Amino acid sequence: MTSSDDSTAGSLRKALAGAGPLGAPDPWEAAIRKVAQHQDRAEFKKLFDHYAPMIKAFLSKGISSYADRSLAEEMTQEVMLKVWNKADSFNPAKASVNTWIFTIARNTRIDFIRRNGRADRTIDIEDIWHEADSPEPVVELQQRRVETMIRNAMATLPEEQALVLEKAFMESKSHNEIAEELALPLGTVKSRIRLALSKLQILIDR
Amino acid sequence: MISYHPDSRYLTDFATANLPLAEAVCVSAHLEFCGKCRAHVQQLTDVGGHMFARLQPEAVSEDSFAALMARVSAGAQEQAPVVTVQTPREELDETTQSHVFLPRAVRRLVSGSLDKLRWVQLGKALRVAPLQVSDESRDTAIYDIRAGGRMPEHEHRGEEITVLLQGSFSDADGSYSRGDFVVRHAGESHQPTATMDKDCICLVCLERPVRPRGLLYRLLEPLVNYRLQRLNRSVA
Repeated sequence: MTSSDDSTAGSLRKALAGAGPLGAPDPWEAAIRKVAQHQDRAEFKKLFDHYAPMIKAFLSKGISSYADRSLAEEMTQEVMLKVWNKADSFNPAKASVNTWIFTIARNTRIDFIRRNGRADRTIDIEDIWHEADSPEPVVELQQRRVETMIRNAMATLPEEQALVLEKAFMESKSHNEIAEELALPLGTVKSRIRLALSKLQILIDR
Repeated sequence: MISYHPDSRYLTDFATANLPLAEAVCVSAHLEFCGKCRAHVQQLTDVGGHMFARLQPEAVSEDSFAALMARVSAGAQEQAPVVTVQTPREELDETTQSHVFLPRAVRRLVSGSLDKLRWVQLGKALRVAPLQVSDESRDTAIYDIRAGGRMPEHEHRGEEITVLLQGSFSDADGSYSRGDFVVRHAGESHQPTATMDKDCICLVCLERPVRPRGLLYRLLEPLVNYRLQRLNRSVA
C-alpha cells in the first residue's frame, strides 16, 4: 500500500523522509560522513542550509510566546555546532539524519531551559537522554525503523489525533500540559496519543 | 524477566523530553534494563524526526552560518580535550559481595559509588540516601532494603516510581525484580518485603514523602523529613 510515491513531491519527500531499510537512501548521510571524516565545510554548509531553518522552526514552537524569539536563532546555532562536533558519533544503523538532528535539537532545548532555571547541575541532560549502552540488546520490534509506516499512516490520522501528536512532539508539551491546554481529561489525551501511535504501528502495551 | 514497564504517557513524554527530570531519570534507568521499551523510545523518536522534517522552515539570519564557522574555528584552537569521568558500570556491594549494575543517570547522581552516599538508617530493614536532582515536585532517593527486610506499611500521598536496581521485593499486589518500573498512585498503601537472597536496592522518586501508617512511624515522620531535608541542604 505505497500510495502516491511517484507524485511530484516524491523527490522532495525522499530528501525529507530519511532513509530506513525500507526507504530510499538518505542523501544527508553522506554529508554527515564527510563532515565527520574531513571536516568538510562545503558539505556542512549544505546541511546548515537545509536543517537550520527546520531547527529554528522547531525551537520557536517550543519556546513560549513571551520569550525572546532571538533565542531560537541562538539555540539553532548551538544545535548546528553540536552537529559539527558530534558528526562522527552519528550511526545510520540507529537513526536517520532527521531523527538524529531532532534529538540534538530536543536535548539542546531542554538543556537550555534547565540552565535558565537553575545554576546547579548535578546531572547532565546527556546522562538521561542518551543512547543507552546497555547490556540488554534492543528488542527487534516488527517495525523498528518506522519511517515508511509513519509516512503512510500520518496522513490518515483523524484531526484530533494529529493535533495531540503535533503538540507533544513539535510544541514540546507533556500529556499534562496538553490536557490543560485543550481542557480535556488526562486519560483522553493519553488514549488519543496511544491510538495515534498504534496507527503508526507503535504498539505500547499500556 | 522484566514485567513492569512505563506506560505510553511516560515513554512519550520521555521521548519528547517533556518529562520532569526526576521521572526522566527513572525512565532512563529502566531503559537500560529493558530492550523493548528502548525500542519503543526509538520508534517514538523517529516520529519526532519525521514531524521535524515536515516543519515549515523559518529563515535564519544571513550571517548565521559565518558566525557559526567563526565559532568552529575558534573552538578548534582552544578546545581542551573533553574529559569524561569514567565511573565503573558496576560496583561491589559490600554486604552481599555482589555486583550492582548502575544505569548511567544513577551512576552520575551517586557520583560513582553507593557507599559514599549519605545514608539515613530508618529502622532495621531500611536505609535511604537522598539524591540531588533539580526537580522541585519530586524527592529522589536510593532505598536499600535489607534481604528479607520488611518496610513499614505506608500509604502514598503522591505518585511513587520505583526502579529496581538489584534484588527483588514483593507486596500484596505482586513481586518485582531487577529493572521493573513500578508506579504507586496516591492513596494506595503497601508493605514491601525484600526477598531473602539479597538486599534490594531501588531508585525511588516520590511526588511527596510517603506517610507511614503505624503510630510510631507517623511520629517519626517529621523527624525523618527533617533529617532528609538537612541532608539535602548539606549536600547542595
